[in-house]
Amino acid sequence: MRLRSVVKGSVLMPKDNDSPFLLDMHKRGVQNVDRMERYPLSAPVDLVVVGAGAGGVTLAQRLARAGWRIVILEKGPFWDPDRDWVSDEKGSSGLYWTDTRVIAGNDPIEMGKNNSGVGVGGSMTHFAGYVPRFHPSDFEVRTRDGVAADWPISYRDLKESFERVELELPVAGQDWPWGDPHSYPHGPHPIAGAASVAWQGALRCGIEMRVGPVAITNGVFGHRPHCIYRGFCLQGCKVNAKASPLITHLPDAIEYGVEVRANCMATRVQIDESSGRCTGVTYVDGDDIERFQPADAVAVCGYAIETPRLLLHSTSRRFPNGLGNQSDQVGRYAMVQGATQVAARFPQELRMYKAPPPEVSSEQFYETDESRGFARGFSLQTVAPLPIDWAEHVQADGHWGQALREYMRDYAHWTVLGVLCEFLPLPENRVTLASETDRHGMPVANFSYSLCENDKRNVACATKVMEAIWENAGAQDTLKIDRYAHLVGGARMGFSPDDSVVDSSHRAWDCPNLFLCDGSVFPTEGAANPALVIMALADRLAALLKAKRVSRPADALRKGGLASLRP
Amino acid sequence: MRYDFAEAHHLPNRRVPEQAHADPYDLPRQRRGVTPQMHGRYPDYDVLEQSDHWDAVTRRVVFERVSNVPEVRFFDGREAETLTVLADVVLAQDAEPRIPVLAYVDEKLFKGERDGYRYFDMPDDDETWRRVARGLDEEARRLGQDRFALLGVGEQVEVCHRFANGELFGGAWDTLNVSRAWSVVMRYLLQAFYSHPWAWNEIGFGGPAYPRGYSRFGSPHLDSAEREEWEGKEAYARDPVGDAQERGLE
Repeated sequence: MRLRSVVKGSVLMPKDNDSPFLLDMHKRGVQNVDRMERYPLSAPVDLVVVGAGAGGVTLAQRLARAGWRIVILEKGPFWDPDRDWVSDEKGSSGLYWTDTRVIAGNDPIEMGKNNSGVGVGGSMTHFAGYVPRFHPSDFEVRTRDGVAADWPISYRDLKESFERVELELPVAGQDWPWGDPHSYPHGPHPIAGAASVAWQGALRCGIEMRVGPVAITNGVFGHRPHCIYRGFCLQGCKVNAKASPLITHLPDAIEYGVEVRANCMATRVQIDESSGRCTGVTYVDGDDIERFQPADAVAVCGYAIETPRLLLHSTSRRFPNGLGNQSDQVGRYAMVQGATQVAARFPQELRMYKAPPPEVSSEQFYETDESRGFARGFSLQTVAPLPIDWAEHVQADGHWGQALREYMRDYAHWTVLGVLCEFLPLPENRVTLASETDRHGMPVANFSYSLCENDKRNVACATKVMEAIWENAGAQDTLKIDRYAHLVGGARMGFSPDDSVVDSSHRAWDCPNLFLCDGSVFPTEGAANPALVIMALADRLAALLKAKRVSRPADALRKGGLASLRP
Repeated sequence: MRYDFAEAHHLPNRRVPEQAHADPYDLPRQRRGVTPQMHGRYPDYDVLEQSDHWDAVTRRVVFERVSNVPEVRFFDGREAETLTVLADVVLAQDAEPRIPVLAYVDEKLFKGERDGYRYFDMPDDDETWRRVARGLDEEARRLGQDRFALLGVGEQVEVCHRFANGELFGGAWDTLNVSRAWSVVMRYLLQAFYSHPWAWNEIGFGGPAYPRGYSRFGSPHLDSAEREEWEGKEAYARDPVGDAQERGLE
């Protein structure tokens, strides 16, 4: 492992995923769409996946290699980064889910660019790139800390999946000392001056940081080029250096027969009233025509807002309150992470807009420390807002007019630290259906959020740590913005139908051929960015389905899919 | 004002009371390209001169923004007048050249583009904007003018100050959560202003960076390693007039 991490441009390549070789060095995006399979609507496929993001694409790629015939329905476009993406902040708004969601509660969570993606590749097309693992403790929070819930699976169940996915992205970073210590396939990227001042400040107050872990190539990786440090990770990587399922898994999935139908909004998972099994998915295509794709099984991978929304909207005589919702669990325990940021001002120019925003991070405060007066913890990460985000930062500190312009002109002197505070899952933090509908007549999501006392203490403590780092780094001024990041939960996995929506195999308790495979199944959220964990869960679920080890009578499954479960 | 930007005294949170207002007209005048009101810290930096190094798609998007200012189609004439004044006050655009921010706001609302959320106690963004326009004119009438645009600058600033603090009441304001209306308005305005290359010139932002990327992003071991050859130099750290006087050179 030690040797591997120092070989820049690792020679190790994934065994069961040829995606990096199916790309073109001189063009971006997917190159084998011409060869993509087209399945007729007249016959059931083995699996319909709703959502072409981290969960859906990874699951489809794995199962396609095992011979499953799969259709992925994606609400947004099939991106061609050369044609569709720009090196511009405002011009990238098409990457975000900007259809209205109603936000409520004591602490309404602003949606859109910060936490919601649309289009093939999902939110990972515009995620910063941090891909930390969960710690072993994350899976047993109830047992260890007496709060929240345990997962019905453990770190051991995901360890090999983490390793496999880290090699596929591939992840670059220093040897990781926290949680389960591990190395990364690519060595750490060089860090910018803006991140190095955070590093120095942290060291002076006894906090260790590490470079990475980021899903950004740092060497040769098939036909993907090296990062060019242009700083637009959150606007879609036009370089093909930052990972998203669009380039890490989809090319291989297409090669093995997966069809992606872009611009197709799933509106209902249909069920057979007598058997209670799902029969396929109704969707509205790009020409606004309603269609139905029959399937032997359905995997909903729409993330923490759209997965509950689709399930709640999939009502039937048998399931009048929505699919998977017999015990009123769908939409509950949705979570965000406290993501307060503190910006700091230095005498020298730092120009934080250069180099990837994710650079160095620390998980020193990740675990529960009783002396802090709250359960669980937070991680620290550098970030680097571009001008519009920086303006929102300045405005959040209360400035407008000449004062705002003054802080904006000072942009080159600033750098920013952020935290991810683990918030606790609460039943009232819930996705429900609003009375307002979208243009297809489907009710939009209402997302209600309120922080609990533990959450607030966590944020307060994390903010003090950031301020201490900047003070020790010699900052001349600071600006703070309270914000939130990431969306998980809302259809959690658990031990019984009373406390959860799916079992440890991601199978809906109420419906034997319905699987959820995205961030919505998280029972707790850790203090880590969710992308890697979602992909690892998909990797594990695919292995279970391929090996017929799902928690159902194994003889009901036959090679090549779930056809024998057909009603 | 001294241009010693190694210090932080010019920043609003750091100012001593007697220097309550940093006069942006003490800043260098722009010599290349355009900045809003022609002041900034990078007088010889014009990001648009770098456009040969941008990919064609990005270049088209950015140049469209500058040269093809959309017509106002969503707001009516009176709303547009009131909201243009609001935009100029909260963005301190007190002279030409101004970035025509309201035109971009209007375009976004006209096209039905949104940012992905609506507070449960707020109307849709388009309705919020219209009510804000109405509320500002109502506020003007309380101050003896028919329209917000007719108030003196001091009064306009004062109304905006109360808007920012959520302290506007009655009429249209009673149908809005005023603090949230402020955040909606500011979100649209900041996006419009800081997506414009003139604003990038003012703040020294490198702009689009594909396919060139960056090779110098700050090594603590190299002098000036934070800046590419083509990136703007910040205005000299000292005011030459004051410096010359201090050193007894005149």
